[in-house]
This record gives sequence, C-alpha cells and structure tokens, in this order.
Amino acid sequence: MKHPARSIALSVALVVIAFSVVLATQVGSDPRADAKVSQLLGDPLPNFSVETLDGATLTEADLAGRAVIVNFWNSWCIPCEQELPALKAFYARHADEPDFVMLGIVRSDSEGAARTHAKAEGMDWVIALDPEADAALAFGTRGQPETYAITSDGVIVASLYAPARVKDLEAMLAEARRSQ
Amino acid sequence: MRPTRSLAWGVLGAVVIVSLVWAAWPSGDTPTDRERAHEVATGLRCPDCEALSVAESSTPTARAIRRDVLARVEAGASDETIRATYIERYGESIVLEPEGSGLGVLVWGLPVAALISGAAGLVFASRRWRREPRLHATDADEALVEKTRHA
Repeated sequence: MKHPARSIALSVALVVIAFSVVLATQVGSDPRADAKVSQLLGDPLPNFSVETLDGATLTEADLAGRAVIVNFWNSWCIPCEQELPALKAFYARHADEPDFVMLGIVRSDSEGAARTHAKAEGMDWVIALDPEADAALAFGTRGQPETYAITSDGVIVASLYAPARVKDLEAMLAEARRSQ
Repeated sequence: MRPTRSLAWGVLGAVVIVSLVWAAWPSGDTPTDRERAHEVATGLRCPDCEALSVAESSTPTARAIRRDVLARVEAGASDETIRATYIERYGESIVLEPEGSGLGVLVWGLPVAALISGAAGLVFASRRWRREPRLHATDADEALVEKTRHA
C-alpha cells in the first residue's frame, strides 16, 4: 500500500458518510411504524376461542359465512369510552342484517367490570371474555380499542388502532363485504 | 522493533485473543426449555408497554406471549422460528434487538467498521511517527537559546 494513512482516512470517511446517510434517512421515520397497522391484513382469521357473557364458547368457525367486526375493548380505557357511541349507532344500523355479526372481546379487564359496563352501557352485540389474552395474542393486538373487519370467508381485510367513528366502521364493513 | 517491545505486543495480543475466545465460548450447560423461553422472551418487546421486554412485563398479553413461547419451545421450535412467528404477527418492531439483515446489518456493522478503521488509523499513525527522524538541537540553536535567555 503506497499511502496507508490516506487509505485509512478514506475508509474512515466512507464509514462516516455511510453512517450519516443512515441517520439522514432514518431520522424522522418511525421505527415502530409497523405498530400502527395490523400485520395480519390479508391473512386468515386466527384460531381463537372465547367465552361470551352468556357462557357460550365462540371460535373463529362460528363467525364463518358472515361479515364480522371484532372490537377489542375494556371498561377502564378512555378511548374505548370515546368510541362507544359510534359502536352503538353503527350496531343499531346493522343489527338485523343476517350476514353481519359484531363481536366485542374484553381485553385486560376483569369479568365483573366488563359485565357491569356492558350492561350499563347497553352493549347489545356479542361480548366475549378473554381472561388469558389468548385471543388478544392471536389477533396481534397492542392495546385497546382495536377493531378488525373480517370477510365471510374469514380473511382480515381492515384494522383500526384508534377509537372508531361510525364512518370508519361503515368503511370497514363495506370492505369486508366487498372483499368476500 | 526492539525484541522487548515485540514481546510486549505479542503478550498483549495473546491476552486480547484469549479474553475474546473465553467470552465467546459457549458454556457447556444445555439450557432448559424454560431458560430458552426466557431468553426468547427477553428479546421480544411487550406489545402493550413502552419499553419493556415480554420477559419483564406483567401485562396479560406479555404473560400470554410467555406461555406461547414456552409451548413453542417445548414443541421443538427453534428460537429463530419463534421470533419469525412474532415478527409475522406484530412486525419487526416486536424484536428489541435489530435483525442481522437489511438495515439491521448497518446498525450492527457501522460502529464495528468505525472502530476497526479508527484502530487501524492509530496503528499506521504511530508507525509513521516512529519513522520520522528525531530533531536534535545544533550548536547554532543552543547559542540562539542562550542568547535569548540572557537578553
């Protein structure tokens, strides 16, 4: 090597430049951007088993043949409280449709609190308990509220990691029906 | 290079190599399923926490993941397969340590490359400094200093 010091200086400069490029391209980008949307979009509904407040066991097979809205919620979460009027209004519009079902899965809450809350708030759709968080894990949830739309042939086509508005729910249901 | 200095460098190099091999050498004990599950859980981010691993968190989801990881370990799944399952379900952000591919290579590789380049630069620079002739004061220099001192 004729000029070793020069070669080393060049190598250091290249490393610094590469590091700068990485920093420049990554600063401002959210390293957890994938936490804002479900990674299961387009995937089949995962296997799960929950117990409804009526004591019945409900699995993914029981939802087949209908467009499904699944909402993870609990009694103490403020955003869940915020979206409740929208859920009620949306459900009132579609409750009588035979090809539709809405399922609320309780996440990180006690049975007593969830049961009391559901009754007091008039949550008339199917509410199910998930005490071991197995369903929450199967859906890859990160918190609550989270809402998913599933086609009648069991494919997850939409997700929402925020309090749902009526227009969000309508769009998700339309997507579930369009994709089936 | 003087023999004593070569010997010192040789001993230093040997100590460094032995230390690295000692640290990197796998321990003879085979980890139990629970130890392996704990190790995998330590590398997964708790999905509903800010900065805790699944192993550290007590949320229902973290507990469910710990159970699931243990069940997968007991069923014979490799650590990598289990991590891949969780990346598929939650995305790359579920892993606390960067992956050894894609951008993760840069995250691991650049600091190492910078360290190696810096060390190599120091070695070459020190050799160059040693090669440069030492300057000795001439009689004229000494006279100039004396003159300035008594001025």
